[in-house]
Amino acid sequence: MMRRRSIALAVTLALGAAVSGCAGEDGGASKAADTCSSGPVTVGYLPKLGTDPYMTTLRDGAKAAAEEIGGEVVYTAPSEATGAAQIPFVNQLIAQKVGAIVISGSDLNGAAAALRKARRAGIKVISVDSDVATDARSLFVNQAKTSELGAKMLDSMAELIGHKGEFAVLSSTETAVNQNAWIEDMKSRLATDPKLKDMKLVTVAYGQEKADVNAQKAKSLVQAYPKLKGIIVPAGIGLPAAAEALSQTGDLGRVKLTGLAPASLIKKYIRGGDVQDIWWNVHDLGGLSYHAAQALAQCKVKAEPGERIPAGELGTYTVGERGEVVLGPATVVTPKNIDDFEF
Amino acid sequence: MRTSLRARLTSWDYILAALVVVLLVAASLTQPGFAGGFNFANSVSQMSDKALLVLPLALLIIAREIDISVASVAGLSGVVLGMALEAGGPLPLAITLALLAGTLCGALNGVLVTFVGLPSLVVTLGTLALFRGLCYVLLGGTPITDIPLSLTTFGNETIPRTYVPWDIVPFLVLAPLFALYLHRTAAGRRTYAIGGGPDIARYAGVRLNRIRFGLFVVSGAVAALAGVITVARTSQAAPDGALGFELDAITVVFLGGVSVLGGKGRMPGVCWALVLVVGLRSMLQLGNVSGYAQSAAVGALLILSLLATNTAHRVHAALTRRRLRALAVRESAVP
Repeated sequence: MMRRRSIALAVTLALGAAVSGCAGEDGGASKAADTCSSGPVTVGYLPKLGTDPYMTTLRDGAKAAAEEIGGEVVYTAPSEATGAAQIPFVNQLIAQKVGAIVISGSDLNGAAAALRKARRAGIKVISVDSDVATDARSLFVNQAKTSELGAKMLDSMAELIGHKGEFAVLSSTETAVNQNAWIEDMKSRLATDPKLKDMKLVTVAYGQEKADVNAQKAKSLVQAYPKLKGIIVPAGIGLPAAAEALSQTGDLGRVKLTGLAPASLIKKYIRGGDVQDIWWNVHDLGGLSYHAAQALAQCKVKAEPGERIPAGELGTYTVGERGEVVLGPATVVTPKNIDDFEF
Repeated sequence: MRTSLRARLTSWDYILAALVVVLLVAASLTQPGFAGGFNFANSVSQMSDKALLVLPLALLIIAREIDISVASVAGLSGVVLGMALEAGGPLPLAITLALLAGTLCGALNGVLVTFVGLPSLVVTLGTLALFRGLCYVLLGGTPITDIPLSLTTFGNETIPRTYVPWDIVPFLVLAPLFALYLHRTAAGRRTYAIGGGPDIARYAGVRLNRIRFGLFVVSGAVAALAGVITVARTSQAAPDGALGFELDAITVVFLGGVSVLGGKGRMPGVCWALVLVVGLRSMLQLGNVSGYAQSAAVGALLILSLLATNTAHRVHAALTRRRLRALAVRESAVP
């Protein structure tokens, strides 16, 4: 008897909650999709992982912009880097009725349905750093054009070794999409560009996104190729690890390094002049995304190609194809400008 | 009558139910938007796949077994669903294949545990890695995103004119069936008997392996259904679909009062524990509490519940001892 009553109680409670839900407030889904705010709105920031220093720097940039033009930043923090784990956070921001959501997608589609729900509720959605499905957001605020980075790294290496000699690439994994595209770019430019005719790419090694593997590979590259003058490390974990390892063995200096990594992690090596880095200002990325979110929420822009987004001190940015806004060309980090980079 | 009332008030089901009520009232008062239909629908939908995993797990743990590969089975079934759809298969066929894949996974676990005689914790630890690995081998790193609209609607919309999300419907159908099996059938009583003492159950004529094997197969099939819901909810078949769900599911089972040693625990308790976890997570989510802190809160809840039951048992045992001793003293005093 007791068991049956207990089950009945559970069912009744669930039904009660459901029915009271029906009678309750409007679910938010029936609001017009083109709501415009008359003033600054609250913007919800949804990173891949709440603890990622890249993302907290981005958040600080957004907060600085909020102090400049008003409005508020709500920063949420999923504990797993999957699109599915971002769903409850999107729903939370919808329930809290924020004016705009800025998301760094853990994958393209995981949270896309929830984001579409947000857009139907009149919330403007922007992706930053890492895109989501095109129909789930209006704008994608990108740090740099992917195609540009390979060329930048090669130019930096050429400058470091005086356009002459052997160099290697220490990539992330064999299947990494961006890295492989950059390496292809480098190879084709080496074959055609007369300015680079004296440079030779001797091998491509893989650091598997692990610090210890990168350190080990960097050391063995130096031993295997005695004439090696430089290594390009296009991976955020690899470049600091390689710099650390070669500085320990005393090879850094004879062998120069460049690549792609948070500038703050290799600050001292960049100051020494033997390491360069291709990076962008993550703080500015946060600011630009915040300006774009406010402009959208107040219907100052509609996210159509060719439109211009004013971003305060950062300048004005143009909306490109498929709603892409590019922060700007990535910077070669040298001892001169290293202090501009917070991350 | 008095003792039955006391037993009822101190039973874990009722303590959980009271906790649920306290939590819901407190959250409704303190968190704006908590009591709204929108939040109800999202919070329920969020747990819809994990809730399914809880049902067979409760039975297995009562039978002194465990299946920690459930989330990997769900992930693999989702991958099979996605690949079948990508190959141009119609949705019903793709779902059937996914369920079949999950059932086979469950059968593999079952064979290794019952007929080969390996411990289920080790077997399913192995298949947890095996099935998850297969997801990546089959799919690579890129999720399949071409999911039919009917399926994503199922995973993201509510039943028209209500706030009940579609994806909780399989759970609402299956939960009573599992409760009936466990509490109203002979096989359910045998499941308890196996967990209470396998040797005694064997002498009593219970066919242990048959029931155990059946439970693992059901676990696989239900996990596959959860995998289909994960695909529907996330609009994609990803190799990391349902990753880590087994921990939440096991937490709910233990929180629901199922004994780690088997033989004890009831479905209503498990369902209350589920509501409690859903409500707690929902409340914290609206308070903009990070995912890490949410997990910590659920973990703390589990530890506290174990402490509470443990203390209650000790107090009860001490009281009984004292009463028996008093009784013995009185009887010896009056010869």
